[in-house]
Amino acid sequence: MLVESRLQQLHEFVSTFSKEELVWINGYLSGLLQNGHAPQRQLDPVGVAVKRITILYGTETGNAKKLGYSFASSAKKKGISTKLMGLDQYRLTDLAKEEYFFLILSTHGEGEPPAAAKKFYNFIHEEDISLSNLKFAVLGLGDTSYPLFCKAAEDVDGRLSELGAHCMLPLQKCDVDYEEQAAEWLEKIYDGLRKTSTGHSSKPIVTEQKIITKKIYKGRIAAHINLNDNRSSKETFHIEIRTDDRPDFQPGDAIGIYPHNRVDIVDKIIAITGIDPSKKVTTPKATASVQELLTKQLNISYLSSATVQKHARIVGTTIPETRMDLLDLLRIYPVKNPDQFEEVIAILNPHSPRLYSIASSPSAHDGEVHLTVARNIFNVSGEHGVGLCSDFLCSLNEDDTVGFYVHKNRDFKLPAAEKDIIMIGPGTGIAPFRSFVAERDAIGATGRNWLFFGDRNFTTDFLYQTEWQQYMATGVLTKINLAWSRDTATKYYVQDELKKEAYELTQWLDNGAYVYICGNKDPMSRDVEEAIMDILCQQKNISRDEATQFLDHLSDQGRYVKDVY
Amino acid sequence: MSKQEHTPPSPVERIKQESRGLRGSIQESLTDAITGQMREDDTQVVKFHGMYQQDDRDVREERAKKKLENLYSFMIRLRLPGGVLSADQWLATHHIAGIHSTGVIKITTRQTIQLHGILKSHIKPTIQSFNAAQLDSIATCGDINRNVTSNALPSHSPLHQQVHAYADKISTMLMPKSRAYYEIWLDEELLAEKFDETDPLYEDRYLPRKFKIGIAIPPNNDVDVLTNDIGLIAITEGNQLKGFNIAIGGGLSFTHGNDATYPRLATVIGFTDTEEKTLKTVYEILTVQRDFGNRSDRKQARLKYTVDKLGVEGFKNELEKRIGFKLADAKPFSFTQRKDDFGWSQSNDGLWHYTAFVECGRVTDDENASTKTALYEIAKLNKSAFRFTCNQNVIIADVKEGHKHLIDTLLNQYGVKTITQTSSAIRLSSLACVAFNTCPLALAEAQRYIPSLITKIEPLLAKHNLSQDDIVLRMTGCPNGCGRSTAAEIGFVGTAYGLYNLHIGGDRLGLRLNKKYRENLNEEQILQTLDELFLVYVKEKKGNETFGDFTYSKFVAAN
Ligand code: SRM
Ligand SMILES: Cc1cc2nc3c(=O)[nH]c(=O)nc-3n(C[C@H](O)[C@H](O)[C@H](O)COP(=O)(O)OP(=O)(O)OC[C@H]3O[C@@H](n4cnc5c(N)ncnc54)[C@H](O)[C@@H]3O)c2cc1C
Ligand SMILES: Cc1cc2nc3c(=O)[nH]c(=O)nc-3n(C[C@H](O)[C@H](O)[C@H](O)COP(=O)(O)O)c2cc1C
Ligand code: SF4
Repeated sequence: MLVESRLQQLHEFVSTFSKEELVWINGYLSGLLQNGHAPQRQLDPVGVAVKRITILYGTETGNAKKLGYSFASSAKKKGISTKLMGLDQYRLTDLAKEEYFFLILSTHGEGEPPAAAKKFYNFIHEEDISLSNLKFAVLGLGDTSYPLFCKAAEDVDGRLSELGAHCMLPLQKCDVDYEEQAAEWLEKIYDGLRKTSTGHSSKPIVTEQKIITKKIYKGRIAAHINLNDNRSSKETFHIEIRTDDRPDFQPGDAIGIYPHNRVDIVDKIIAITGIDPSKKVTTPKATASVQELLTKQLNISYLSSATVQKHARIVGTTIPETRMDLLDLLRIYPVKNPDQFEEVIAILNPHSPRLYSIASSPSAHDGEVHLTVARNIFNVSGEHGVGLCSDFLCSLNEDDTVGFYVHKNRDFKLPAAEKDIIMIGPGTGIAPFRSFVAERDAIGATGRNWLFFGDRNFTTDFLYQTEWQQYMATGVLTKINLAWSRDTATKYYVQDELKKEAYELTQWLDNGAYVYICGNKDPMSRDVEEAIMDILCQQKNISRDEATQFLDHLSDQGRYVKDVY
Repeated sequence: MSKQEHTPPSPVERIKQESRGLRGSIQESLTDAITGQMREDDTQVVKFHGMYQQDDRDVREERAKKKLENLYSFMIRLRLPGGVLSADQWLATHHIAGIHSTGVIKITTRQTIQLHGILKSHIKPTIQSFNAAQLDSIATCGDINRNVTSNALPSHSPLHQQVHAYADKISTMLMPKSRAYYEIWLDEELLAEKFDETDPLYEDRYLPRKFKIGIAIPPNNDVDVLTNDIGLIAITEGNQLKGFNIAIGGGLSFTHGNDATYPRLATVIGFTDTEEKTLKTVYEILTVQRDFGNRSDRKQARLKYTVDKLGVEGFKNELEKRIGFKLADAKPFSFTQRKDDFGWSQSNDGLWHYTAFVECGRVTDDENASTKTALYEIAKLNKSAFRFTCNQNVIIADVKEGHKHLIDTLLNQYGVKTITQTSSAIRLSSLACVAFNTCPLALAEAQRYIPSLITKIEPLLAKHNLSQDDIVLRMTGCPNGCGRSTAAEIGFVGTAYGLYNLHIGGDRLGLRLNKKYRENLNEEQILQTLDELFLVYVKEKKGNETFGDFTYSKFVAAN
């Protein structure tokens, strides 16, 4: 709703404030608006005749939700009454009744909608409802580093038109720095709404796609150490990556890495298909030798069921709905000849990158990127398999090279130096906190630092133990709490340790401490949040709803942030 | 009447005095979750509770790379005067070892047992389980009287039981008064006020150094009585215990390159005829050591140095002042054997006892024998006691005629009889200390190495027709002498990893120490040197002169 130039000014102005100041300003402005002392240059609501709109968001990590809220508040200021909710809350039967319908949807996994959007996604794809009186526009959030950029949004956008809905605006896809594009999209929506209301035809306004592709850094593995004792049941590697040009990152950021496939598996594939590995092949996404494509560029493990079905069609057979590795697929449903295999190569998706939190601090580790990577082990019908990218990283050797890009995380950032922080990071969740503490040590931050860590066994799985001991000795770490799930007869986790510290935790919070949670989303982050809720209820004796509000308030202030996966 | 040097006391002295009755800050150390260690001072204090902080030396470098601290754990040593466990107590120990330690039960050269690899968080449960079996580890380490040893095999003498009882009496008499052990490990509520903790013997400074007492019943010297600070030698007439010869100032440790340190055998200074006199004498020997012992240099602090400082007569005078009577002249005695009598033997009360060979005292199941399972199965029968010898072996003791067969079958079934009967003479009379991977002071391997070394020595003995000779061979990973290597006919003393000094000329019975003959030998040199020595021995020995006596006269006394 601001024109480019003014938006630019605003960005520059805003960037001079600290997070705390912004929080204050935020309150100040809304105060102004409410008390009617609205600044003179207020956008004049007149001209937008449309009185009711619906804004839905489908989010995994919160970006779409954030946009949804700012969209809704600006619309309200224009006097448009808005219905805003997450797709998981939305009553699907209302869909046909909607008139102005706006959707902000991110894409996750390998081109899939966020978990919270699956119900809606399946509904519109499976039902044959008529949406002829629906006027809609979709904003897709995504990441151009992924092969299926904004796939979920694309699907939904296309499907809604199929169902007869009128597209007000062509799909707007946004990369990870989505703010600007999102703002422009909003502008166009308001235009559209004005035009509609003044009788103009809702011819879609064409928007040019601007794709920002990320800088890929070439790194050399300088250190590669399994942090777990040899008698541990796990493997977690500390990996140090050196680059020639300093990557631009902050504590809390992650890097994205494209895995390579195992050479021995690729060789087997080449052997059973009889294809010439040096042959140049062109796929929708790339042109390279078969060898190159199969080892570096295309995903050959745990193919999506869609890909499996395409394979079925190529080899002219039927395959039950399933996912499997390409090698198995070729063993059970072989290709007739090398040429047919070329067709199969063409349907393979390029690799999706995997993200890994950066465990080093720019100030303390001289631009090096450190990672804490757990070899992902899972069970498939009794047999144990390993995750593609983690196995790739854990199998690297010193002096090998890897390509990566920096994945910024704007929310998961250190507060002002004098603020206290509480870090909850069991397992590999420890990674960003190694960066946090090293950074705070290096810059001499005065805030107190409290770490909660947990894993299986004390003697074998205490990641970075000697470093934490150092930080305790030098007072950089104020307090550390540890939970070992397999040292005792009954399992014991960080959330249990949190409960033990209920009183002091609340004191830290009342003192303005920032809480960070990193690690597995399920079940860890949910259990931890449950524990924090309990603690709040019990210590402040408030209701669960009040506790929820309290946490919401904290996260609005950026004082309760999660980086979970 | 304290006679302290003017040089400053050693750091350990401060720690003892500031320990608030052996409490230190152990409680805090236990709750410090970030490390498997105790605070530095507490590592000294816990010794008095019978445990040592150690770490697995095999994995130090590896763990440092992994940013993990050393793999710290604790070794706990039981207080077993005279080295006896009931069947139930053995069962308890078997289970405790399985749950809390490496699983190996180690029979020590002082007749007790040790468990290794107990994590800090497991110490309390371990001690509590031992306590439930009426076992404790009080004062088995530290600057205080240690486990009192006594002749192990009941069939050695009709007076065995009567003499053996002294081990218990002495141990109890010399216990510290502090309740810290019960408070810290057994959650006994603070009793400081209930109990008077003032300790007339140890005061708040305890002894300058460790203190050891052993009791022998001639003609058997299985306890190596003269290597103790105090050696009591039972003097008997027929079926009557007349009293004890008192020997003082034994101790084997020395330090490479420090001539002020030396091994020493105890000197017999007299005889006491009544229990009261004997106990009083023992007690006051400790008070003399408490007041005269060197408290600034721990390498000069053992009783042996105090005795040499005051002179035997000087010491004796001070002692007699304190006991208030003159010691009678020592009675003649003679030893004929130091090694264990393996196999079945019967004591005059009609009970049977089976002495089983346990290589290096490591009770476990391995390719040679399932000793641990055997003892477990036997203990389950509850028809025997378990006695430990100072040669690191076990005796299935006090078996009634009627149960002998049953137990014999089990010993057979699990291969214990076979190794006991088929192991070579030299293997049966060998000793080795623990050394790597748990002993922090080890310079070279001992118990992990000696079995294979002996396997290479056996052919040499065979070659020289010496297979039947029970030459006493002992090895220690450093000069501290835990395996009493300086009191052996062939002694190996570790100097660096894979290298040993070779000592020869000690006698077979423990009445004469050996001397260093060659330095820093690797295995090849060891075997070559022994081969040469065996050769001259068989060529030149007079009559049935032992290897120890021969090498003494030829190589030691000569020069
Ligand atoms: C377990 C045992 C050897 C064995 O394989 O059986 C042993 C093991 C250790 N001895 Fe010993 N000593 C053992 C009998 C001896 C003996 C032999 C004896 O007493 O008959 C001696 C030589 C006699 C003597 O005391 O002079 C002996 C002289 C030492 C010394 C040297 C003392 C000195 O006067 O300097 C040390 C080091 C020290 O105390 O500073 C020592 C220290 C140690 C320590 C605790 C190392 C330490 O201080 O951290 C060893 C623990 C190793 C481990 O991992 O278990 N140990 N130690 C014996 C336990 C006896 C018991 O049940 O109490
Ligand atoms: C923001 C963020 C930060 C992260 N930080 C870290 C970090 O610091 N350290 C870290 O270790 N990880 C981190 N992760 C997780 C990491 O990105 C990867 O998700 C993780 O390493 C697993 O990827 P993979 O390629 O090894 O496993 P994948 O091959 O992607 O497999 C993942 C899962 O898919 C299933 N699967 C795969 N193949 C098969 C098959 N053949 N049959 C059946 N099931 C199968 C299994 O359930 C498996 O666990 C982070 C993730 C995010 C989003
Ligand atoms: C594990 C993971 C997988 C992702 N997969 C894709 C993808 O396949 N295609 C895409 O365009 N973006 C993908 N993204 C990027 C997200 O869509 C992007 O970060 C978006 O801003 C998240 O919005 P949200 O917070 O509302 O979920 C992925 C992100 C993560 C963390
Ligand atoms: S002799 Fe030395 S190496 Fe052997 S156990 Fe004793 S202290 Fe350790």
